[in-house]
This record gives sequence, structure tokens and C-alpha cells, in this order.
Amino acid sequence: MFRHTMLFLGYELGNVRRNPVWPLFGILQPVLYLLLFAPLLTGMVPGGTLVDALRIFTPGAMMMIALFGSLFTGFSMINETRNGVLERLAVSQAWRPAIILGRVMKDMLVLVLQALLVMGVAVLMGLRLPLPALGLMLLLMAATGLFAASLSYGLALAIRDENGMSQLVQFFALPLTLLAGMMLPVSLGPEWLQTAARFNPLYYSVEAGRSLFAGDLSDGTVPVAFGVFLVLGALSLAWSVRSLRKLAG
Amino acid sequence: MIIEAHGLRKTFTARRGRGKTEEVEAVRGIDLSVGEGEIFAVLGPNGAGKTTTVRMLATFTAPTSGTARVAGHDVVKEAAKVRERIGYVSQAGGVDDNAPGRESLLLSARLSGLSRSQAHTRADELLETFSLTEIADRPVRSLSGGQKRRFALAIGLVNRPPLVFLDEPTTGLDPQNRANLWDEVRSLRDQGTSVLLTTHYLDEADALCDRLVIVDHGLIVAEGTPEELKKEVAGDVVTLRLDDLAAAGELLNAQPYIKETRPEDDCLRAYLDDGEHNLPALLRALEAGGLAIRSISLDRATLDDVFLRHTGRSLRDAA
Repeated sequence: MFRHTMLFLGYELGNVRRNPVWPLFGILQPVLYLLLFAPLLTGMVPGGTLVDALRIFTPGAMMMIALFGSLFTGFSMINETRNGVLERLAVSQAWRPAIILGRVMKDMLVLVLQALLVMGVAVLMGLRLPLPALGLMLLLMAATGLFAASLSYGLALAIRDENGMSQLVQFFALPLTLLAGMMLPVSLGPEWLQTAARFNPLYYSVEAGRSLFAGDLSDGTVPVAFGVFLVLGALSLAWSVRSLRKLAG
Repeated sequence: MIIEAHGLRKTFTARRGRGKTEEVEAVRGIDLSVGEGEIFAVLGPNGAGKTTTVRMLATFTAPTSGTARVAGHDVVKEAAKVRERIGYVSQAGGVDDNAPGRESLLLSARLSGLSRSQAHTRADELLETFSLTEIADRPVRSLSGGQKRRFALAIGLVNRPPLVFLDEPTTGLDPQNRANLWDEVRSLRDQGTSVLLTTHYLDEADALCDRLVIVDHGLIVAEGTPEELKKEVAGDVVTLRLDDLAAAGELLNAQPYIKETRPEDDCLRAYLDDGEHNLPALLRALEAGGLAIRSISLDRATLDDVFLRHTGRSLRDAA
């Protein structure tokens, strides 16, 4: 089982290696936000320097890749429900969950690499982070990716239509972005907004990211975020594997 | 027997508009037995249930009822064991468009249990067999339909299965590629591999298979070797175009050498043995009956005539 997961992971990473342009495109948006939006925040944050702004804004920008990258990754699988690839794999000797697991692990790795690049840009702009915070942040990105990618594959297998999936993901992307406080912390907003944010899983990762970037590694938001994403990740993974089994009708 | 199926049925629940569902019987009770080393064809028009039948036998879809043993194992209870022993090439092919064909081949080889070096050896072997070595490292989307189909076939054979399922293997191929694929299927049989293929081409079933079943509306309507089936409808067929089909049919049915007649669109098909010798008598009979012939042709009976006899319509119209 583990062997098959690694085989699928290796195959998927081979595809990424042959065509590395798309993951690079994926970080363009957060990098632009860092370069062109973070400077606008300098007047609003305590401390008032660019570094202070980056400390608050970078975790949100990184979660954008998780949202706009990993949540769209399932699109590739919609085509595979039609072109016979999944059909062939389903009657091969492959351990079925490995078909999804290998892809999700690829997405997690790509996400971590993208996150490293975005953090690199933040460092070039003057942000300094202790290594443990950086390591935990990357793990948090991986956990977020586990959830977003599995959810995306589950949606792809359930909807099996590019138009429908695109509408649905687009529809949720903006409210999820705003209610996670990716741009500005939700704590600046009124009570009802803060309550609504609690129903958005990404809110927890952005909050935990900010705690990590503030050097507050033992903050309660960190274990909560990991817990939320491991549970949701496991659930959505189970759902997408189940949907794969239903493919045959 | 490498395949033995009894009473296979598959019912799908299809959505018809808002909240309404409808039961669709794709396969309504199919019995099959395929011997080892045979090329066996399932012939029928689109929508006859061919693909669903193959999918059930290849463990992709579970039958609603009925049982099947494939390569010695039950397709539902021992699906994993069946999967070790079959190759399956779906109608869509199932080759990843974005990666080079060699990568898909290597992945399949490793999934079937080969080590890295064994997988490379097996992949090179198959690439050689199907003349794909030169294009093995190009993305599959840049290849032609025939090349893609050869990759699909190579991937299906990676685990050296004793039985291969080919669902509509030549649909969409040009005549040259079609003939090449036929040769490849025949060479599979020469190596002792059993093949079950589906097709809606009569000439394909006729030229390629040892035995076949004809399916229509989810049921088998005829079974046998191509020769046996054609013999059922007499060796030759005379196709006549004339004005009064009913009168001509009545007249010809009374002739001793005519086995049966069937009206089809604006012509009449008369089945008889030894057509070359009986044709003059047939012409004289029509002339004596005062029936004017607009055109006439004499052909060997084909599987289409078998299909027509069992279903009342031509496969060309049904497809």
C-alpha cells in the first residue's frame, strides 16, 4: 500500500518536474500581494514598519496558495474520469486509496515548496524568522494542503464537470479568503464577523500562522489549527477515496 | 474456460430531470463462456450493453445480479485476484495525455509488482513490440490516434495477462491502423493470450474472432463461430430493388431454393444457398410473375444478415 502511494507520488512529481511553470504561476499572486499590498499596511499595524506589516500579512498570503492552488488541483482529475485513466487504474492491481493519496502528497509537497518561495520573498523584503517557526509554518501549510487537495479531488469525483466545479470553487473562494482574515486580521472586525470566521477552516490556519510569525510558538491557535486540519483532511480524504470507488456506478 | 458468466445483469439508476429517476437495464441477463486462447467478440450496436458487460467482467462495475468467473476467480468476491490476471483497454484508452507514454508504462509495470529494473526491461520490450520506442518520451497528447491506441494496448499487457479485454479497440482508427491492430490481436492469440473484444464492426468480428456473441438491448441474440452464424441464414443473399415488395416476397418464398426473404427499407433480401446457380431461376420466376426489377445484387451473407435475422433490423441502422 505504501509502495503504491510512493509510486503514484513519484509519477505525479515527474509530471510537475517536466512542467514546473504552473506551480510558479501559483505563487505569483501571493508574491504580488507581498510586494504591492503589504506596504500599504505599514501605517495600520503596531510598530509601523514594513517588517511589522509582513509579519502579519505573510501567513495570509501563504494560505492564498493553499486556497487558490490546492483547491483547484482536482480539475485534472475530472478529465481522468473521462479519458479512461481512472477506469484503467481501478481494474489494475493498484491499491485504490493510493491513487488519491499519491496525488494529495504531491500537492502537499508542491505547496510546501511554494510556501518556501513566498517566505523567501518575505525574507528578502526584510522579515526575519526563527527556524522552528519556519518549520512549523511549513508543516501547517502541508496540513492545510492535505485538506484542500483531498477536498478538491472529492469535489472533482462528485461533480465530474469542469464548469460546475469551477463555479462552485470560485463561489466559495472569495468568502473563504475574506472570512479567514487573509488580508487583514478578522479580530479588527465586528463580533458577528468573528463568529462567522470560526466556521471557516482557513481562519484557523491564518491565525496559527500569525502566532508562529509573531514568535509565539506555544500559542493555543497552533495546536487547534493542526487538529482542525488533520481531522478535516482525514475526512475529506476518506470521502474522495469513497467517491473513487463509486466511479463505476 | 477463461471466462464463465451466468445471468449477468446490470441496472443503472439514471436521473431524469428534477428528482425523477429511471431504472435503465443496460444488461439483461448474459451468459458467456470463452475458452483459453480464443479471440472472442461481443458484437452489437451502440447501447447494446457491450461496454457494461466488459466492465463487469473486468471488475470495474459490480453486476446487479448474476455471477462470473474470470481467469479462475469470481469477479466480485475475488476481484483482486482477477485484476492480477487480466489486461483491460477501455474504449477511451486511458493513457495519461500529459506525460510521456514511457512513464505511464513504467508506472503500470511497477504497480503490477515489478522492480525498477524489471519494469524498465518490460517497458522496453513492449515499446519494441509495438514500435513505440522512438516516440516513448514524447507527451502522449502529441501522438496520433493509432499511436495512442498502441500505447493503451502496451499498458494493458504490462503484467503479461492470460486474458485481455479490448473495448472497441479500433473505433476511430483509419483502415491502415485498424489492420495493424488486427495483426497485433492475432499475434496475442499466437502467444496463447485469450482476447475478449467488443465491436460494432461486422467485418472486424468476421475477420478477427474465433467465436462471437451478438448482443442487442442487453441480451445475447446469437452465438457461435462466424461461419456457423452465417450458415444459419444461408450462404448467399440476393438484394432486389423493385416496386411491389410484398408480391415479390410472396412469389420468392414459394420457390424451393429460397430459404427466406426479408424486406428492408425499399429492397427485398432473399436468402439462398448456391446463389450463382439459382440466380437465373430466380430471375425467370420474377419475370413470369410480371415483376420489374430495378436493380439486383448477389452477395455472400454477412454477420449483418445474422443480426437482421435475429433483431429485425440492420446493424447499420441500429448503430
